[in-house]
Parts: sequence; C-alpha cells; structure tokens
Amino acid sequence: MKKAILYINQFFGQIGGEEMADHAPEIREGLVGPAMELQKQLGDEYQVTHTIICGDNFMGSRQEEAIKTILGFLEGKEFDIFFAGPAFRAGRYGSACGNICKAVKEKFNVPVITSMNEENPGVEMFKKDMYIFKGGASAASMRKDVAAMAKFAIKLMNGEELLSAEEEGYFGRGIRKQVYLNPPVNAADRVINMLLKKIRGEKFQSELPIPPSDLVPIAPAISPDELSKIKVAMVTSGGIVPVGNPDRIQSASATKWGKYDISELDDLVEGEYMTIHAGFDPAAANADPDVIVPLDALRAYEKEGKIGGVYKYFYATVGTGTTQAEAARMGREIAAELVADGVKAVILTST
Amino acid sequence: MRLEIGNFYVKDIVFGAKTEFKDGLLTINKEEALGVVFEDEHITEADLHIVKPGDMVRLVPVKEAIEARCRVGGGPVFPGVTGELMQAGDGKIHALKDSSILVVGRHWGGFQDGLIDMGGEGAKYTYFSQLKNLVLVADTDEDFEKREQQKKNHALRWAGMRLAEYVGKCVENLEPEETEVYELEPVTKRSAEVNALPSVVLVLQPQSQMEELGYNDLAYGWDCNRMLPTFMHPNEVLDGAMISGSFMPCSSKWSTYDFQNFPMIKRLYQEHGKTINFLGVIMSNLNVALEQKQRAALFVAQMAKSLGADSAIVAEEGYGNPDADFIACIVALEDAGVKTIGLTNECTGRDGASQPLVALDEKANAIVSCGNVSELIELPPMETVIGELESLARDGLSGGWSNDAILGPSVREDGSIIMENNAMFCGDMVVGWSTKTMKEF
Repeated sequence: MKKAILYINQFFGQIGGEEMADHAPEIREGLVGPAMELQKQLGDEYQVTHTIICGDNFMGSRQEEAIKTILGFLEGKEFDIFFAGPAFRAGRYGSACGNICKAVKEKFNVPVITSMNEENPGVEMFKKDMYIFKGGASAASMRKDVAAMAKFAIKLMNGEELLSAEEEGYFGRGIRKQVYLNPPVNAADRVINMLLKKIRGEKFQSELPIPPSDLVPIAPAISPDELSKIKVAMVTSGGIVPVGNPDRIQSASATKWGKYDISELDDLVEGEYMTIHAGFDPAAANADPDVIVPLDALRAYEKEGKIGGVYKYFYATVGTGTTQAEAARMGREIAAELVADGVKAVILTST
Repeated sequence: MRLEIGNFYVKDIVFGAKTEFKDGLLTINKEEALGVVFEDEHITEADLHIVKPGDMVRLVPVKEAIEARCRVGGGPVFPGVTGELMQAGDGKIHALKDSSILVVGRHWGGFQDGLIDMGGEGAKYTYFSQLKNLVLVADTDEDFEKREQQKKNHALRWAGMRLAEYVGKCVENLEPEETEVYELEPVTKRSAEVNALPSVVLVLQPQSQMEELGYNDLAYGWDCNRMLPTFMHPNEVLDGAMISGSFMPCSSKWSTYDFQNFPMIKRLYQEHGKTINFLGVIMSNLNVALEQKQRAALFVAQMAKSLGADSAIVAEEGYGNPDADFIACIVALEDAGVKTIGLTNECTGRDGASQPLVALDEKANAIVSCGNVSELIELPPMETVIGELESLARDGLSGGWSNDAILGPSVREDGSIIMENNAMFCGDMVVGWSTKTMKEF
C-alpha cells in the first residue's frame, strides 16, 4: 500500500470562500473535498492518508510561516507521493500549490504532482520544478484533472516508462532527452516532411522549439579614471592551468574550475602554464598562454597606470561540451568569490 | 552528371584463399589484405577481424568506417586522396553493400574516436552494428600523437581507404545485382515541369575546426578549413569526393561511409521531379573564427539566392562551436527569403536541462533533431573486445572519462561501461539515418 497526501486551499477544503482566505494551515486525517476523487482514481493500492488545507492569502502573504508549518505537519508522516490542487485558473492557488510542492520535494525527496490551467501564472513560475498537469479553466474539470494526476502518479510509482511531457499531459520542465521514435521514422524522411509543409505554408512542428534567449546584459562601461584605481580579474573558459592540471579540470564537459595565484608573475610562460581544453588546436595557447589569459598585457597596463592592478588569482575552466547549467553554476561560484573580495572588473576570455 | 552505383549485397564475410565475391559471400585473403595495410611503413602492427550483427563484440577506439568500392574503368575511389584527382560523381562504380571496413586502434584512442557494440542493447546506438564489417585493428609509429587527445590518425585512416579499394576491386568485373542511377540535369537545363516545383538546395557543413592541417574533412583531398563554400553536385559526395576527418566528438561525426551513402542526398533524389526540384549541394564548413563563420554564411546565402533556391536544408557535422555556423547559416538563408530546415543533434547535458544549441535564433523555426550528445549510456560487459577497452576511459574519448566523483571511471573492472553518447561511433546519424529525436520531459 502506497501512501499519498494532498494539499488544497480553503475553498476546496470546504472552509469557505474569499472571506476565509486567511485560514491558517491545518492537516486532517483522511479525505476532504478533491481528496475523495483522488482516492477513487488512485485505487486500492493507494491510500490518501491526509488532506492539508491552507487559505490562499495565508500562503501568499505569510508564505514562509505557512510552508514551515506544513513541513512540520509532514515531519514523521509516512508518504510516498505528494499532490496539490488541481488549481485550475486560480492564480494564488496555483502559486500556493507550486510553492508547497517545491518545498515538499526539497525536504522529503518524494515525487510531487499538481495541475493548473495554462493561463495560471503558477505554470511559468514552477513548471521547471515539478510535474504540473495541463488542467481545465474551472472546477468543472475537477474529475478529469484529478484523473490525469492519478494516472501519471501510478505510472511513476510503478517505474513504468514515462513518455514526453506532451504525451503525458504535463507542462514541459525544460528537460530535453533523446528518444527512439516508435514506429521509427528516419531523419531524412522527417526533413522532407517538414520541408514540404514549410514550403506549402502548412503547419509544422519543429523538433527543437527555440526557447526564449537567456542573455545577460552587458555591464555599463567603467570610466578610465575608475579603472585606473581598481584591480582587474581574469576568468577564462579556455582551459589555461599550471602544467600538471592540479585541480584535474576535465578537458571537455567540465564540472570543475580552478584558481591560480599570479600575484608574483608578470607573464604566463610556456612549460609552466598550458591549456587542457580539448575543443581547439592548443598549439598557440601552449606556446604562449597569455593569448588566452593576457597577464603580460594587463601588467603593461598596470605599469602605464591604465588599471589599478591585476587581481591575485585568475580563474579557469573548460568550455567545450560544458553544459549551460554547469557553466552558469561555475560562473555563479566564481562571481561570488570575486564579489566577496571586492573585485569590480573582470575580463572573461573564451576560445 | 550521371552516377551509376552497381550494388553487390554482402550476406557473409569469411577469410579464405582468394579475395573474391560470389553469391553474396565475400571472401578475404587475410595475408594479401594485410599486405595492402602494411604498404605504409608507419603501420607497425595490424590484424583483421570479421564482425556481424548480433555478435557480442565491442569495438573501441573506432576511427573510421568506409564502404568497399571500385571505380569501373579505373581510377581511385577517393580522387585526390588515394590517387590522382579526377571528376567524381560521373561514371560507374561498384559497391559492396550491407558491409563496411571499420578501422580500430590497437591501443590508442582520442577525442574523435568512438565505440561500436555489434550486439546487445548497445547495438542500437550506431548504424554500423547492422552491417557485416571487415575490421582492421592496427597500431602505428605516429608517436608524436600517441598520447595526444587529438589525433590525425593518418596512417590508420589511409590504411582503411586502401583496404576499401583492395576489397572493392574484387567486384570490378562482376555484374551487379542492382544498379542505382543518380542523375541531375544542369540547373538551367531542366524541364518546365521540374522547374515549376519548389527548388531545394542542401547545405552541408562538414567538420573543419582545426587550423592545423590533417584533422579536418577533405574535399577532393583539400582541407575544408581552407575553403569557402562552394557548389557541388550531390553525386560528387556519393562518389568519394568527401573524406571524413579526425576531429569532433564521435557521435556528431560523419564517417567516410556516411558521405558515400548520404541518406539525406538519396532522399532528396527520391523527391526530385515529384515534389521538389533538387538543385544540388552547397558545401560549406565550420571554421572557428567569427569572421570565417560570417563569411561562410554570406557565401551560402548568396549562392542559394543566385541559384534561385526556394528552400534549403542545412546539416552540421558537430555541436558546440559549430552551432554558431549552423544558426548563422539558417538565419542568413531565411533573411534571403529561403525557407530553411535545420538538421542537427543537441547538447542538453546529462540531465537534459541545458540550452540545446550554443547559438539560437527564432528564425531557425524548423529543425529536425537527432539526439543528445551528452545522454548517459550504461552497458554490460561484452564477451569480446576488439581494440582496447581502456582507451574509452584513458585516452580522452569525448564520451569517456578516467574518473568521475559520482559515476566512477567509464570502464569498470568487470568490463561494463558508462559513457556519454558523445563517444558512440557516428551515433547521431545526422546524415539522415537517425530514428532518434529529442523530446521535452
């Protein structure tokens, strides 16, 4: 017997409407409102043991307290899976379902499932963090939405093969995986199919929908006067490391970065520094590592007074094959160190 | 141009007294064949094996795959590479189908080399597990690159081509079971019916990222890094004008066999005169400097426009840095009013959560995607290994590693492996074979 717990708001918890939206979190043994339908859809192998009810305003305005209280309720309770909603098009309810699911997943490491309408702002906020099923606009689709969540939950718990977001009916979580088409259709056929549709102005579906770009705005320029007073740091994805690669940074698909003391150096010389990057011809960089980490040029600027100095470390990792997620994490870690040390200007070199 | 490919279907391969082809049986005189391999003094050690679909055999580090062929009436199978320059794509060749020559390093692998499982659950990851293969496993005295992650693999790749010509020679004077004919009228001399169809150009972006010569794909023996986009007849590609290089994570690579059999080209031929007017191939490249990328995109768009292409297909041999060429080329074509389809694979990371291509543009609104290079693949031990299994972990293969804090090494003591799709030999089959796609979860 697998155990489940459901989160709902004050309205579906039969406490009351908008006037009761400040209702503090409570947990009840057994089934309240939509929990009955959920139990029915999950069947005899599952038991919905508790229903948690919380006012939408309470979760919205006193979120930290609400989550803390609910996580406290769950402490020591046995449950294999956690549900919230369905929230339909109700914005505050959707946000509440997302927040509590995220917290439960993080703390108890159990699968969490909710359901919202595509127009619910909670979808954009939380779809990357959990399974949000595509639900109806109003409570009229309660039975259907609960059934979709339950059906998927059973597949998930049984370890059955899970299909894509579109096929299963939840909002994509931004996770792209390769799958073998069944029945098989080769790429050449798919190209011709798409080509003819595009030529004829018919509707077609790209296999790689281009997501909105994730660009960091370029920082405003530093004035020459300010630049002459501050130290400049160097960070590279070009794989320059001391010979021997002391931090064992990977030559491709890197997950590590290193920092190297250059406070006593004026130049990175051949034989002492090298690149371990496997994505380009290393000859030029090995002959003169300054072509990627331009310490010699920065020292010259320092002497001329153009910059206030060179930061004592340079930071390095490898960019080839490195995923955006890993690159962003390493970037955040390096930036945190630099900011903590008061660095205000960084030269980022790639290859 | 008219190319006739006479096909001989290989049902089985055996070693025997005489190299010959009879009733589907390909017999190889091992000693004579090895003699061809050893014509290059840089080959220090060599052996031949036969592997077939379903064999519980793992091959690694695989460096190249080539279809055995001969040019009827004489001439090299690979003009400008294995012999004098001559026009490819016009005339008659004989080909041994359902089989390939695979070249495997005896010990040393590199960034660009891959793995093939002939049987078991790993077989689906490469095209070559479906073929009957003659495997050359050899070592060389190219000590300058023995421990380099990037290898030119010159002696081994050229030995593979010589072997393909040697084996192909045995069907020179035989009558093929079937003949495929590839013929396109000159662009300005086509019938009114064909001209009325939407015209399509195929833009290929073969690998050319290395500045140093010896690593990149070759066009008639010319390094693709040193060329500007040029107009080619599709028959030239099918007939040995293009040679695979020795650079790029392996699942993204196009082997010489892939060029010789290019399914996207063959598919366009099928549609020619029916639904489309196939104009030909614009052979571009994937150089690393931004200006070179921009220049290539300019040339491609201009050529497509001058040819009057209504539509284009752009395929890239690689990922990462080449994604910038791929997207730039699609954008330039769309800006020139050419309706464009992209053909590529993706790098979404082991967790699938990363940006799929390095460069993106909303104008690239029609893409066929053939897989995720970083998908993790775990496979059980194999009864037989040809080559050296440890190379996957030791030699910097793009999908292997010597150690990982969580996953451990790619090659385990019991012979089981864990790797990224990156090291599957030509596994993403962007040339058109791939039945993989990418879906969001």
